[in-house]
Amino acid sequence: MPQRLGTQRMVERVRSLRARLVTTMALLFLAGTVVMYVAVRAYGQRAADLSYDRLLSGSALSIAETLSVDGSEVRVDIPYAALDMLSAAPEDRVFYRVYGPSQHTVTGYDDLPGHEVRQAGEIEPSDVPEPRFFDAQYRGEQVRFVLLGRQLAQPGLRGWVWVQVGQTRRAREELASQLVLGALLPIALMTLLSLALAWFGVGRALRPLKAISEDLARRDPYDLHVLQTPVPREVGPMVDAMNGFIRRLDANITGLRAFIGDAAHQIRTPLAALRAQAQLALDESDPGEMRAGLMSVERHASRLTRLVNQLLSEAMVMHRTDNRHFEEFDLVDVVKRAVRDVVPVSDDVQVGFISGVAKAPMRGDAVLLGEAIKNIVDNAIKHGMSEPPRLDEEVDIELHPSNGGYRLTVSDRGSGITVDDRTRIFQRFERGHARSPGAGLGLAIVSRVVASHGGNIELIDRQGGGLTVCLTLGGMT
Amino acid sequence: MRWRWQVSALLLWLLPALAAVGEIYPARSVPAEGTLTLYSTLDTAVFEPLLVDFQQLHPGIGVRYENLDARPQYERFVGEADAGIQSADLLISTSMDLQVKLVNDGYTLPHGSVSADALPSWARWRNEAFGFTFEPAVMVFNRAAMGDRTIPQSRAELIDQIRRDPEFWRSRIGTYDISKSSVGYLLASQDVRLSNEFGALVEALGDVDLQVEENTSTLLERIESGDLVAGYNLLGSYARARPDSNRNFLLVYPRDHTVVLSRTVVIARNAPNPALAHKFLDYLLSVRGQRVMAARCGLPPIRKELDGVYERLGVNESQIGVLRPISLGPGLLVYLDQQKRRQMLDAWRAILGPTQ
Repeated sequence: MPQRLGTQRMVERVRSLRARLVTTMALLFLAGTVVMYVAVRAYGQRAADLSYDRLLSGSALSIAETLSVDGSEVRVDIPYAALDMLSAAPEDRVFYRVYGPSQHTVTGYDDLPGHEVRQAGEIEPSDVPEPRFFDAQYRGEQVRFVLLGRQLAQPGLRGWVWVQVGQTRRAREELASQLVLGALLPIALMTLLSLALAWFGVGRALRPLKAISEDLARRDPYDLHVLQTPVPREVGPMVDAMNGFIRRLDANITGLRAFIGDAAHQIRTPLAALRAQAQLALDESDPGEMRAGLMSVERHASRLTRLVNQLLSEAMVMHRTDNRHFEEFDLVDVVKRAVRDVVPVSDDVQVGFISGVAKAPMRGDAVLLGEAIKNIVDNAIKHGMSEPPRLDEEVDIELHPSNGGYRLTVSDRGSGITVDDRTRIFQRFERGHARSPGAGLGLAIVSRVVASHGGNIELIDRQGGGLTVCLTLGGMT
Repeated sequence: MRWRWQVSALLLWLLPALAAVGEIYPARSVPAEGTLTLYSTLDTAVFEPLLVDFQQLHPGIGVRYENLDARPQYERFVGEADAGIQSADLLISTSMDLQVKLVNDGYTLPHGSVSADALPSWARWRNEAFGFTFEPAVMVFNRAAMGDRTIPQSRAELIDQIRRDPEFWRSRIGTYDISKSSVGYLLASQDVRLSNEFGALVEALGDVDLQVEENTSTLLERIESGDLVAGYNLLGSYARARPDSNRNFLLVYPRDHTVVLSRTVVIARNAPNPALAHKFLDYLLSVRGQRVMAARCGLPPIRKELDGVYERLGVNESQIGVLRPISLGPGLLVYLDQQKRRQMLDAWRAILGPTQ
């Protein structure tokens, strides 16, 4: 046996399952976090604006409450709280402006950035406009403004007065950042936790595989028990496949061992007999006796040859039934060739083949079936001779379609096989008669081949004496 | 060679400062790091110990100190800044409201230091305005002139005394002229905001011919001389700083509430020497600076590390009511509003009008 160099080399390693899983998850989480950041950022800005806008409009409202008209002048008395309440955003600068009809500044910063407002005429007298918010650059900082309109209608003055209050955005940005941080921090922590879980989880999940590999590594070379380690459902099919493989290997090796044992046992006796015959022949001085001895040697040798052939044939059959090489072939053709191989040209035995079909396509192993048919026909020729010989000694082979398959019968005119022997005869090294020349393997081979094709074999008595071997085979299935 | 360098340095100061040179404290060592310019409402003599001690720490820094009144100082600085002139590095003012306005309108630089962080939150705004003193507004009485009369301990008690004996108080009680004094205006605006009795008090004061002065020292001199019996809403630090204060003056921290003012310092956005300004501000707020200020300038420090509030003020807890520090922040802008100011001054004049 050549040395198996390959066994020590590891299978090529692709990237680790764990790294692959964790990388994929990390990328997924990263993408998710980016999306979350954008969403949360927008949300945070909106939430911060919403809460501080209330403060801003509250301030503007409290200023607007104090608006009054004195003669033709707009008066406003800014409450302390109006600006002080804005120090809820402690770091933010505050700007305000009150301006009346025709943009005239009543009080406050007269250079505040304006905002397009509807002209006084366009507003219905009953209309109380909602405060309007907008951002603008002022004195080097981004400022959030609110603009609130009030309609004044006094004898000296009619029209709209606007209160504009602005506040820099520091507190808003800070609140928005806090909201973003508050939302993203748990997500980031969860991400890290999940990655860690995946990292260790893979290790845990693969632990049964480790146990299996340790089990296999510990075994001695002849230990072919199936794997018993309990494994998760996901790994089940792999372990089942491995167990199937181990079982086949076991069966093969057992078969091989049995075969070698049988072969050794079967060959030893005829070989010893052959040697004894040869020695006897050598010891004879009489040429006549010597010739008789040599004939005996020749007989034993041919028997041994037949035995060895059958043994090899059986080995071949065993091998091929284990590795099902099924293909399409024509059964008629196979039968014809088998008959041609087996029937000696010079012999006076008559072998007839009648086929009910011109072609019998079927699926199977043509070589095996050919071997089986050869064995049956051979048996029929060898055992089918009646004592004394009759004129109508013939072997008839018939092939007929049956139930989508075929029925192949081989009939002889021999002494037949008793009903008691009909099951025993299919076992290895069992012969119909103790003195018959076969090795007792023929029908065992046939039985094996037919079984591997899902067929059936039957022995029945032939009308008018003899035995009929009847094979039922599937067709294209 | 040294004298020539100093002369040229002197010339350099003089060029931009021809209008008002102020007091100059030249650098004491070479190489000089530059000259720091201070605009301040504090008398030069009061502030000098701080400058001297600062120069001991940083001999390379020269200081130009310009003493101005609060509003002119504000207006001058804003005018210079708007014209693009680099003038002052630091501005110190009793007018917390005007300082807040400087910050709000973007004329100042932020400053960060450990000392700045140690300030109470009300004495800080945006890390740009910092209060560095702790000065309650008090009622000052002339002990001798009061005789054995009970000393009023609150605004209500003062109103009560005036109402009971108007002739005693007539023309003998003084306060700041809020139309001229920025501190007076700030303190009055806080009274308007915080006190329910202020209206009644102003009315009572108007009835007995309230005397008004623009600055504290004139008021204190008149009280000391016995011309006035009492002063309302004065910065106690000035009274305590006077040499014979213990004998003559009696300081009362109104029981109902005592407004506390904190002199406020800012760094100019267009400071010629911002690095020096940060150094001086850090020194002013440091424990060392505060200690020097307390000991030699007679200004109560703001840093809690030095002493408790009452020790800092030199009073007993039982003598004092609720302290209400004026908080630096946008609320102070309200009384600077053109209309608001006009209305308040109008009301003030209306009450005091007949006697003015």
